Amino acid sequence: VATVEPATRLAAEPRTAARLPALAWIAGWWLAGRGLVFAAALAVHALGLSGHISRPEHPLGALEAWDGRWYRMVASGGYLLLPGRQSDPAFFPLFPILLRGGHALGLGYYTAGIVIANAAFLAALVCFYVLTRELLDDGLARRATIYLAIFPGGVVFSMVYPESLVLALIALAVLCALRERWLLAAVCAAAAALGRPEAVFVSLPLLALAWQRRRALTPLERGFALGAVLAAPAAIASFMLYLGRVLHDPFAWTVAQGAWGRRFSPYGFVTAFSNLGNDLARNAWVAREVVAVVLYLALIAVAVRTGVKWPWTVGATAIVLLPLFSGAFDSVSRFGLLAPALFWGLAALGRPPAGHRLIVAASTSLLVVATLTLPYMYP
Amino acid sequence: MTKKSLVTAAAAAVVVAALTGGAFALQASALRAPSASSLTALRAATWLRRYRLVDSVFRIDGGRPQHATCVQTWFHEQGRNHVGAVLRLDDGFVLLAVPPHTLASRGGTPAERSSSPLALLELAGCPRVLARSLETAARDRAARQGRTRLRLVVGATRLTLTLEATSGRPVALAVSGPRIRGSSRIRYRQLDPAVLRRLLADLPR
Repeated sequence: VATVEPATRLAAEPRTAARLPALAWIAGWWLAGRGLVFAAALAVHALGLSGHISRPEHPLGALEAWDGRWYRMVASGGYLLLPGRQSDPAFFPLFPILLRGGHALGLGYYTAGIVIANAAFLAALVCFYVLTRELLDDGLARRATIYLAIFPGGVVFSMVYPESLVLALIALAVLCALRERWLLAAVCAAAAALGRPEAVFVSLPLLALAWQRRRALTPLERGFALGAVLAAPAAIASFMLYLGRVLHDPFAWTVAQGAWGRRFSPYGFVTAFSNLGNDLARNAWVAREVVAVVLYLALIAVAVRTGVKWPWTVGATAIVLLPLFSGAFDSVSRFGLLAPALFWGLAALGRPPAGHRLIVAASTSLLVVATLTLPYMYP
Repeated sequence: MTKKSLVTAAAAAVVVAALTGGAFALQASALRAPSASSLTALRAATWLRRYRLVDSVFRIDGGRPQHATCVQTWFHEQGRNHVGAVLRLDDGFVLLAVPPHTLASRGGTPAERSSSPLALLELAGCPRVLARSLETAARDRAARQGRTRLRLVVGATRLTLTLEATSGRPVALAVSGPRIRGSSRIRYRQLDPAVLRRLLADLPR
């Protein structure tokens, strides 16, 4: 033991030393991106841009707006389905559970939400960087992490929304699988799916990894790997069981989403395009979502050309296109944030220094604009 | 199936069962379940939403009983369709409420004219208005339940609904607020085109 211990420490020290600058660099970009968001949110308050903000009197009211109010309601009172009206079972339980935890520690629900979301975003950036470096290369990982830190739609990573937490868990689940810690991967994938339904697509890279390594695994490990692949659907099943128990309707979350106009049908995709003219006439902000869909699909195409593996690109395509089957473009720009392949595609575009500078300049400007316009349109 | 395959399948099943059970237990222990009074309020609201026409007999401030009819239907205003309510009392009072822009009344006693329109619509059992108040109270956990009574606070108004013991259907209510105090019994009716035409004729604007 006496001889092994120092040797382990010696081996660990250079790795830790090498990691420190990377961590500091990521923390720097996190700080820069979040600094812009918080400064813009304070400007919203100072300029009196109240719009649809429920607590305009609060300096960070813009970051608590929209779905933040719903997550707070679930955290404080649990779920209740109001048939035909917008109600809270549309919002998945992980984030409200953590809000309750923060509240139990003495924080207000909104404060807890902002603290959790922003801390989770730092963790998401670190996990995303390490994952990208392992799957692709270090240069691309650095650029992708920078773009994620300042991505315009990423304003929600600072809001009372679960996206940052879910992104961290998705990246961590695959990292654990890469290190063959399948049980931990299963727990992370399940937790991610308890946060947002899009996380179910983490099963695709987990499946590919499990299949790729099946011969090297023992039968028991293969079972754990299969468990990790099924973890996200299992977590969603647990949410349905819970809704069945307390609301007597396991599908209460899809019923509640119907009140926001989200009713999935095979013809929804066609309806989304045929209704687009009317939707744009009624609400010009829909244009933002249409641009996001086009941009995201282009980025996925670039990711495919860059050599990103199919489980990631298929998952990203599903995240971008499936919402259109509900007949509307609403919030696709936000849903896409949980598709790492988009940022890998963007990082490939940023390989030339001029492209990199252009992306950073455009992203930072649009991130500020996205925050300043929060009172007028939901993300 | 080989022994190795069995081990793999069993391990996967254990992981999935543990995750499903663990996640369920986490939700059950960490989140509040809806209160019985919220669920009762929602059941009452669901009853109300099945009807568009309600007859009622009510008293305001201990006055003489009034027969009222309330219908909820669509109104075409400013190029769009809105759901609104028409309340007609036997003494000639007519109230038209089509959110968000239209609120007009005609006739009636000074007590009726000075009462809160929303409270009047609730007192007359206007089904969608009352259902919405019940749903809001349920969502805000502002409903309290007795054996066959449901009490809720909507803004500055207190509502007490008497529910049918077996079905949970509202059959009577009392309203108490800064501009109104009254009680009523309500009866649900099927709406037919002739009744609708009669109720929508000569509305105040």
